[in-house]
Amino acid sequence: MSSNNGNPYIPYRVNILDAWYEAPGDRCIKTFKVTFDDEKIWDTWSHRPGQCAMVGTPGIGESMFCISSSPTEKGYLRFSIMKTGKNTSALHELEKDDSFYIRGPLGNTFPVDDWKGKNIVTIGGGIGQAPLRPIIQWVRDNRADYGELELIYGARTSADHCFKAEFEEIGQSGECGLHLSVDVEEEEWPHFVGFVPTLLMDVAPKPDNAIAVTCGPPIMIKFVLENLEKLGFKPEQVYTTLENRMKCGIGKCGRCNVGNLYVCKDGPVFSYATLKNIPEAFA
Amino acid sequence: MAVKKLSKDKVGEALKELSKFRLVAPARSDDVVIFKEISDPAEAYLDYGNSTVPPKKMVFPQTETLFRFMVGDPELKEKNVEEEGTTVIFGIRPCDARAMSIVDKLFAWDYDDPYYQKRRALTTLVGMACTEPPSVNCFCTSVGGSPFSKEGLDILLTDMGDYYAVQALTEKGENLQKTLSSQLEDGGDEKKVEEMARAAEGKIKRSIKTDGIPEKIPTLWDSDVWKKVSASCLGCGTCTFLCPTCHCFDIQDEVEELGEGRRARMWDSCMFSEYTLHASGHNPRPSRKERTRNRISHKYSYYPNKFDDIACVGCGRCINLCPVNIDILDILEQVVEA
Amino acid sequence: MVDINKLREIAKEVISRDDVRQVIGYRPGTYGFRARPAFVLEPDDVDELIFTPACVNNLATYITLEEKLPVPRGQEPDSRKVAVMVKGCDSRALVQQMEEKAYDREHLLILGIPCRGVVDMDKVNARFPDVLEKGEIALEGDKFVISFNGTKEEVAKDELLADKCKRCRYPTPLVSDQLLDDEVERFAEDDYSDIETLEKRSQDEKWAYWEEKLSRCTRCYACRNVCPMCYCEDCVLNRIEPMWMRRSVDVSENTAYHIARAYHLAGRCIQCGECQRVCPMDIPIMELNRKFYKDVADLYDYEPGTDAEASPLLSTFSVDDREDFIL
Repeated sequence: MSSNNGNPYIPYRVNILDAWYEAPGDRCIKTFKVTFDDEKIWDTWSHRPGQCAMVGTPGIGESMFCISSSPTEKGYLRFSIMKTGKNTSALHELEKDDSFYIRGPLGNTFPVDDWKGKNIVTIGGGIGQAPLRPIIQWVRDNRADYGELELIYGARTSADHCFKAEFEEIGQSGECGLHLSVDVEEEEWPHFVGFVPTLLMDVAPKPDNAIAVTCGPPIMIKFVLENLEKLGFKPEQVYTTLENRMKCGIGKCGRCNVGNLYVCKDGPVFSYATLKNIPEAFA
Repeated sequence: MAVKKLSKDKVGEALKELSKFRLVAPARSDDVVIFKEISDPAEAYLDYGNSTVPPKKMVFPQTETLFRFMVGDPELKEKNVEEEGTTVIFGIRPCDARAMSIVDKLFAWDYDDPYYQKRRALTTLVGMACTEPPSVNCFCTSVGGSPFSKEGLDILLTDMGDYYAVQALTEKGENLQKTLSSQLEDGGDEKKVEEMARAAEGKIKRSIKTDGIPEKIPTLWDSDVWKKVSASCLGCGTCTFLCPTCHCFDIQDEVEELGEGRRARMWDSCMFSEYTLHASGHNPRPSRKERTRNRISHKYSYYPNKFDDIACVGCGRCINLCPVNIDILDILEQVVEA
Repeated sequence: MVDINKLREIAKEVISRDDVRQVIGYRPGTYGFRARPAFVLEPDDVDELIFTPACVNNLATYITLEEKLPVPRGQEPDSRKVAVMVKGCDSRALVQQMEEKAYDREHLLILGIPCRGVVDMDKVNARFPDVLEKGEIALEGDKFVISFNGTKEEVAKDELLADKCKRCRYPTPLVSDQLLDDEVERFAEDDYSDIETLEKRSQDEKWAYWEEKLSRCTRCYACRNVCPMCYCEDCVLNRIEPMWMRRSVDVSENTAYHIARAYHLAGRCIQCGECQRVCPMDIPIMELNRKFYKDVADLYDYEPGTDAEASPLLSTFSVDDREDFIL
């Protein structure tokens, strides 16, 4: 699928249906809602939560981003991108009706089929919520197939929170557990104050028949994994999604490996049971 | 297939015949042996050991265009590799051909790499057996190869003195042999070739026992062997660019003044510091120690794990040309003893 | 001749000090006549140290090459000294690094080795090809004595001597804490006769010459990485924004790279010749650096790497600076 006429290096053009800022600042985050310029591509496109795409513009470059929308959201793909360097700065210049190019879907998926009937806990920090969002949407759109849904999410400040409107909606509907935090005290912040790993211990989700998925800054992941272990979660019950510098996205250019696993191809989704045996994952 | 003979005084004619294709042969640039496209048989230099840069660069060029574009124009023009035509690499050494078979596996892993695969399909490898090891640091026999190895080759030539024995090994080889029917004769001494092959193996002086190395390396993650062996490393790309099994590449977009541009890929080296540098500034392999550990692990543990082949053919180029005499066999000995 | 036992004794004393982290010296290579860098961390390891005409590496490059990694919380960075053995030419790199304030003088313990010349390994390999068993090279008077495979052969010094040694004006290190041998008197002069050929070429000849050489360049950056003066943490070649030099490899980009590097070394290159030695494609990189060196000497009467107190040439403005090539 992720080959344009059999060539996985040729990207597809996408048009921006809508674009908005999630978080402000030097490393602001912008979400893009896009559809294929050539509508026929939708006929053969299929992706699952966890998969990614190389996103960029010919003339500037490409970088790997998770597809931040679930396949149950029809007719569009979403990407939430933090402004960090050459490629992302160029992408941030784009608005509704502009275009960029993607190659995908790449990488492996969260094993959402294996998770049927289980309770799902997502633990995100900052932009790390972007790859968790498709799981949340998938579960919400296939609600009967899953047990309880618990969302744990924090960022440095309330302004840095992604997907504010959606969290607002979820909070109002009460359809699942929602636990938000900011790192430091803030005026008019009604929820938890503290780092995400601390919030996790406060929520203390039960490990029975549960799956925990986490993504965020490496230091947060480190402490979240420790705390999940304290709460009784076994490594097979814990999943994360890794990142690395990538170029080809299809396992050939060699650079994204963590130990003997290529993040672009054997990943980016890994269970903690797999990563435990790979020292480079925690270097 | 019966072994044929190519008399040495007919080599020029044969090369002339082969130059109907894109003919690549060893040649000299000053005193440096390189594989390059030749149109005049006189340019071929057959009294050689091996080239500095392996002929991998003919199927996996150091720089190649992936597609072209005009900034702002939606059309992306894929580079058509087939335009380059059929290539014959004449005089490739068995180790370098075997290296291509090893790297083929990665370029076919799940996703196709049409650029590499099309070029590879259009290339015929005419190998030159090593009656003498090209270098004192050759160790092909330790890593599954040999001086007369046929793996990856379409034709194998052996220097018998006043003629080359010619053995077609594949359909491609047979087809190419047909184009040289005027220059080839019957009666190549197959038995003698076999004898010479045995004798050649005995001339390989350096060796290492690789049993257990792929399994041992991951257990040495925290060992101080990596700091020791990488202390003198300069972090240049010499070992990787001259290695016939190294295949890492970068992808960069280039735009000219009038908006015409291309997305190109070019060789990259895991020994460069910016190889794994994230846009955030974080580098998971911040020093030569981590990068050396990764390189050795990749060649001698990760690749055999995935593809059943050690990603090294024992050509010895890295040993000969490392500016500070970092020696892969020395490293492996330390791995075994650690 | 350097007394090898004395050298090892001194090294042992140095590494036994509490305030010294490592001693960088030379040890035998892994095959043939090669020697390679040694990083001695324990007193017992000094027995592998050697000094012979095979010790061609410029160890000064390791002072600026070593990465300064962030230290885990609660730990202090290791501020112990680094001891390094340097020949005359190598010491000029240290002097130039100090001139540029790359580090404090106290950071180093310099073990100077007055040198009578090193070999050009290409010449040795041409004269004694395919030697695998470890061999030795010694200098006795005006002859190199080559020992290998149980035999000894004498070769006239001139036949195997590195070209740079034939015009060496600083055989004794210009800076050191200890000298490991008696001072060596200057035994050569530099008349820049090697660059005459370069200067006499016509424009067309220059293009043809450099196009042939630079089309071989694989951009391995061995020349840059071995150079003791190339120590910018953020090398201009690694930038993609702005992209001064493309990563693609062709004659045009290769030429840009070499010219840029030569300019960045103008007034800084101390002529150790390592760049040309390490180039796997035999590109005569030193020709460019030599020409710049001569021009700098003519225009500014300045020699890099000779006075640690001097101000770096191109970052110092003097009212007397020649301007006739600008105006």
